[in-house]
Amino acid sequence: MEELPIIPDGPRQNYSDAEKGEIFNQEFLPHIRSMYNFAHRLTLDEDDAKDLVQDTYLKAYRFIESFQKGTNAKAWLFRILKNSFINDYRKKIKEPSKVDYQEVESYYNSDEVDRQITPDLRVDALKDMIGDEISNALNALDVDFRTVIILCDLEGFKYEEMAKILDIPIGTVRSRLHRARNLLKEKLSEYAKEMGYKNTAS
Amino acid sequence: MNDPAPNPFTNSGKLSCLEMLQLVLDGQATSEQIAYFKKHMEVCMPCYKSYSVDMMIKDMLQRKCCGSGIAPETLDSIRQKISASIKPL
Repeated sequence: MEELPIIPDGPRQNYSDAEKGEIFNQEFLPHIRSMYNFAHRLTLDEDDAKDLVQDTYLKAYRFIESFQKGTNAKAWLFRILKNSFINDYRKKIKEPSKVDYQEVESYYNSDEVDRQITPDLRVDALKDMIGDEISNALNALDVDFRTVIILCDLEGFKYEEMAKILDIPIGTVRSRLHRARNLLKEKLSEYAKEMGYKNTAS
Repeated sequence: MNDPAPNPFTNSGKLSCLEMLQLVLDGQATSEQIAYFKKHMEVCMPCYKSYSVDMMIKDMLQRKCCGSGIAPETLDSIRQKISASIKPL
């Protein structure tokens, strides 16, 4: 598999050591909880997650002059973490991408999308999911689908920011997100069924 | 969509219900688009249902999956390793 560039090409800044420390401490480190959560949900392993976060921060420091003050530090860090994960961990855990994006795109662009073929899932069933159901359902998704949900729903990134983090067009971000949500709902529907909710066709 | 009001989501061609819903759900629709979609939901039961379920799931994800349960020691140990590896910090 081809190595992904950790840092996008762009102008280099010229920071003093004091400035570097200030950026690192005030703009990078405050995101450590989100970074660890992202890493943990990608690797699904605590030790791997720790290593990945640490490695990402060290890279962020090494390449700090590629970061432009005042721009979105969190998005910049998330991109490094995501690419490091793909380069270093995906090979290790041998999880090939099972997503057929061609199919996803054509699905989203067809008239089919107007039809409500999302799994039947009701609000009252969701209200009873007070345990780890939602977290388990998220972690059960294929990593590419998991990632768009994390970026959008957990971290609140805009589509444009997600496109930059993932190096894909905005249209692909939106179609992947749509598909990811349907898969998540399928999982949650299974839990609802186990909990005794009947799958009433509406 | 038989709404006679101009659709603020697009000038040419229509956006599907699901695409409108996605923009509103993700807070990336304009106030005009939100108003249009809210009005549309009053007459479109599938959209109303999908929106309620999607909002609920988004809320659950934010409450339960954002790492509030991560132990402070876990983050501290990462911070320590980072600062040990970077001299000027």
